[in-house]
Amino acid sequence: MLIMNNIARIYRNETIQTHALRDFSLEVKAGEFIAVTGPSGSGKSTFLNVAGLLDTFDSGEYQLDGVSVQGLSDNQLSKLRNEKIGFIFQNYNLIPDYSIFDNVDMPLRYRGFNRAERKRRVEKALEKVGLASRASYLPSQLSGGQQQRVAIARALAGEPKILLADEPTGNLDSLMARQVMELLHSLNQEGTTIIMVTHDPDQAREVSRNIQIIDGEISDFRIYAPLQENQLNDKESHISDKEAVDA
Amino acid sequence: MNLKALIKSLMLRKFTTGLLILQLAITLGLLVNSAILALDTREKLSLSVGIDLDNILIVSTHPTSGNYRDLDYFRSIATEDLAKLSQLPGVNSVSISNHLPVSHRGMMSNVFDLDNPEQERTDKYLKDVNYILAEENLASSMGFTLIEGRFLNKSDQLDFGSDTKRNMVITESLKNTLYGDSSALGQETNNGFIVGVIKDVILDPSNPRDKQYGVFVNTIMEYIFVGRYYILNVEPGHMASVRSKAADTILAVQAERDIFDVFTMADRLKDYYRDDQGLADLFILLCGLMILVTAISSYAYSQFHIARQKKYIGIRRALGARKIDILLYVLTENWLVYTLGCILGIAVALGFNILLSQHISLSKPDLGLFLVAVSIVFISGTLATWFPANKTSKVPPVIATKTV
Amino acid sequence: MLNYNLKLALISFKRAPSLYFLVILTLSIGVGLLCANLALVSSMASDPIPEKSEKLFHISMNTWPNDQPNEEPFHILRYRDAMKITESDIPKHSAVFYESGVYARDAESTNLKRFDSKVRATTPGFFALTNAPIAYGSAFSKSSGMEVVIGHELNNKIFAGENSVGKVLELDGELLMIVGVLKPWHLRPLFYHATEGRAFNLTDDIFVPLETAIDLGWSIHARSSSTVSYKGVKFTRDRNVFYLQAWAELENQNKVTAFQQYLDNYSQSLKDAGEHPLDIRNELSNVNDWLLENDIVDQKVLAFTLASVLFLCVCIFNASSLLLSRFHAAKFEVGLRRAIGASNRDMLLQGMTESILLGLFAGIASLLLAWLFLKLSSEFLPDLANLAVLEPKLLLVGILLSLFTAISSALYPLYRANRYTISAELK
Repeated sequence: MLIMNNIARIYRNETIQTHALRDFSLEVKAGEFIAVTGPSGSGKSTFLNVAGLLDTFDSGEYQLDGVSVQGLSDNQLSKLRNEKIGFIFQNYNLIPDYSIFDNVDMPLRYRGFNRAERKRRVEKALEKVGLASRASYLPSQLSGGQQQRVAIARALAGEPKILLADEPTGNLDSLMARQVMELLHSLNQEGTTIIMVTHDPDQAREVSRNIQIIDGEISDFRIYAPLQENQLNDKESHISDKEAVDA
Repeated sequence: MNLKALIKSLMLRKFTTGLLILQLAITLGLLVNSAILALDTREKLSLSVGIDLDNILIVSTHPTSGNYRDLDYFRSIATEDLAKLSQLPGVNSVSISNHLPVSHRGMMSNVFDLDNPEQERTDKYLKDVNYILAEENLASSMGFTLIEGRFLNKSDQLDFGSDTKRNMVITESLKNTLYGDSSALGQETNNGFIVGVIKDVILDPSNPRDKQYGVFVNTIMEYIFVGRYYILNVEPGHMASVRSKAADTILAVQAERDIFDVFTMADRLKDYYRDDQGLADLFILLCGLMILVTAISSYAYSQFHIARQKKYIGIRRALGARKIDILLYVLTENWLVYTLGCILGIAVALGFNILLSQHISLSKPDLGLFLVAVSIVFISGTLATWFPANKTSKVPPVIATKTV
Repeated sequence: MLNYNLKLALISFKRAPSLYFLVILTLSIGVGLLCANLALVSSMASDPIPEKSEKLFHISMNTWPNDQPNEEPFHILRYRDAMKITESDIPKHSAVFYESGVYARDAESTNLKRFDSKVRATTPGFFALTNAPIAYGSAFSKSSGMEVVIGHELNNKIFAGENSVGKVLELDGELLMIVGVLKPWHLRPLFYHATEGRAFNLTDDIFVPLETAIDLGWSIHARSSSTVSYKGVKFTRDRNVFYLQAWAELENQNKVTAFQQYLDNYSQSLKDAGEHPLDIRNELSNVNDWLLENDIVDQKVLAFTLASVLFLCVCIFNASSLLLSRFHAAKFEVGLRRAIGASNRDMLLQGMTESILLGLFAGIASLLLAWLFLKLSSEFLPDLANLAVLEPKLLLVGILLSLFTAISSALYPLYRANRYTISAELK
């Protein structure tokens, strides 16, 4: 799914060179759920930026879903990003004066779908996160957890191959964090590849693979012990509204 | 005051600073030249014409009926007009003529002394001398000052149709050109014998001051059909009442006249420079708009950069800067920009002045004008940025610790 | 996508209404002012009779009888010179005229009110030469006769706009019959009388045959010059009184050459008779050349136009600053859209759509302002009152100029917005 070979990302200013990523190699297979940990300033964000095609790299190779990324034009990169990747940010990053529907709809606008197709996808994504009935609400009318779920719906609307999540539960209380993690796990069960940056060691333990980035280099921890039964809720595909606790 | 640091911080935002500097420069350039136009026009309007502008009333009129083709009829009406007008309280003297001072061209003739017929080759203004048809009261109505001889009198009015050489009165500048310092009395020109010289009156403001050539002959009654203007010399304080009655007085004598206008000679001077005044006014209007737009830019510029610098200002406050220090810091940044703008503005003002001079006549800028314009720029700019600057100085130090 | 971008642009405007209002306001004032000036300049510099301006020629000659001429050549002619011109059959049409003025009244009316009217005393060729538009009746066909053609405005004033052909006017005590009435006739500039600062006057109220006016003694109301004294226009036929202007319609270059030869031959004959002391200098100037020679474009308006160009630059810089701060404030959303897959091109198109929409709004406002400024301009420069009209082509110029200024204001801000680094953090 995602192959990085000897990626280096160097930030240069007048006097100093910073190796944000050095000799970084990683292979992610389809369907994996990876947690990325590491101290602040270690290069986690840079890794996510490069993986998400938001930033370029100075040397090495990167293949995403079989497509070699070097040498692609901005248009091609954007297309790739739009079709293959879904982003989930720590502070949700919803547009405050758009409705939920319009927020989820945003990435689809750049795909060239017609109105009917977009509507279908938005409704499907909102179903999946259990917020179909709130389509006309504004973000300010929802709780933090619900907003993050909307953000997840937005990431899903384009049916991406891979989800990149940057501390998705960082701004949520433990109950809502739990629900969001459950959603992510269930998506992963259905086959979505997920790479998640987190500071929470419990979250890191719950996934199949851990990666630690220190000083721009990777330390790759392979598969943990299988998850305990009682640490998971329902393995169903979606969380129904009635079970979620609204703030 | 760390000038180097200020300049560095301005260099970080070259684009917006550059735009503002350009705007300031253009504003200054326009300010200076508008002021020049306004001052030039004011100077033109304060021209000393040589007569008492405020107390001379003119009525310009034209008969509408064909009856006036009978010149005797015309004359009788005109004579009665003059009589009735002179009876109005406050009127010192009345006259009638075909031409007024402060005019463009008019009836012209060439004038040369018979002993020196080639003189008009050396002085082109001798080819176009104002030829003014007058009668004996014109001097007192206009308030001409005699410097030699006498003005026209009844005896100078020859029989109608006569070919005899006439008597004429000339202006001082014409006399100087024709005869230098010697007396002009009794000299014979192609237009007649000189019996008097009056002190110069500005006949055409666009001619040089020493070329206000004019000739007066007592023929207005003979050619009454060009007697367009009644000239009334009015006692100070009576202008308003005479002005309100003049037209009716004339129409009461005979109603088939078109009263074009009733105006003082002061009005006439203003009218002559109407277009100059109009252009100066337009430029001042534009200045006002430009200062407004530049002030908006200045405000937006400060607002924008202050918003970005909020955290750093908080840090400064946390480290001990007082509110006044911050205020001065913000204002000084702005003043540096204004200074740069004004320096460039001097070049723009000079350049624009040269460009405008290709199309209109205007004076060169002087230092005083620059100083005034620069102060206007600084004052309006400071006023524009006062509000954001003041708000910034109130940024609390605690901002420095915020991470979001 | 266009609809979406338009929707996004409107949302953007709603988010910062005062800023966008300022941008639209300053751009529309700048463009409006420039447009008003351009309208004036265009009126002054335009070709008033494009269908035949290449074929109509003003005739200046150098027949001044002594060696102290006013100008060489002189734009006004003596009666004998002018008659020589009308005698020639080389021009398709010719017109010889002078300007006068009378007071006019409906002869049958009991009302004694008379209207001050501008008169053109002319040979009949004038009407065909100038393509004068006839509404009722026809032009007079001879140079004499007690007939007149009147203009649209005078017809409105005296006869309330009806067909007044056949009615009689009392002009200065004489009775003349109306044989033709013109349609509204606007010549900008008034090419047939471009001298003496009259290029922006309206067309005349009354057209009368030349000989009739001379015989009735209707005085000359424009430049006249003579070497002898004369008691009135009645006496000018056989004297050296220069006051008539002459135009000829010459259909092609051959005719022009032939007519030039004709005039030069005439001047030569005068020279041979010892009556032409100056050099032979007969000049034929077509409409546009003649207007150029007479320098009719008001320099004051040009000066103000230059100033308004500078003002427009200031407005563009101002808009650019404002837009930059706006785009910076919108950085977050730009980053977000880029993250979810919008390319640089998509964001550029979004920005351009906003600019174009701004430009259109500013364009409409600027046209209203241009119209307003033109109305006001006659307060400041009254001589130009007849020119202050907003022609259709200026409307197009206004819109294009607004679009251009809106887009150029946005160029650098868009470029900067493009270069913001996008990050997964999106703070």
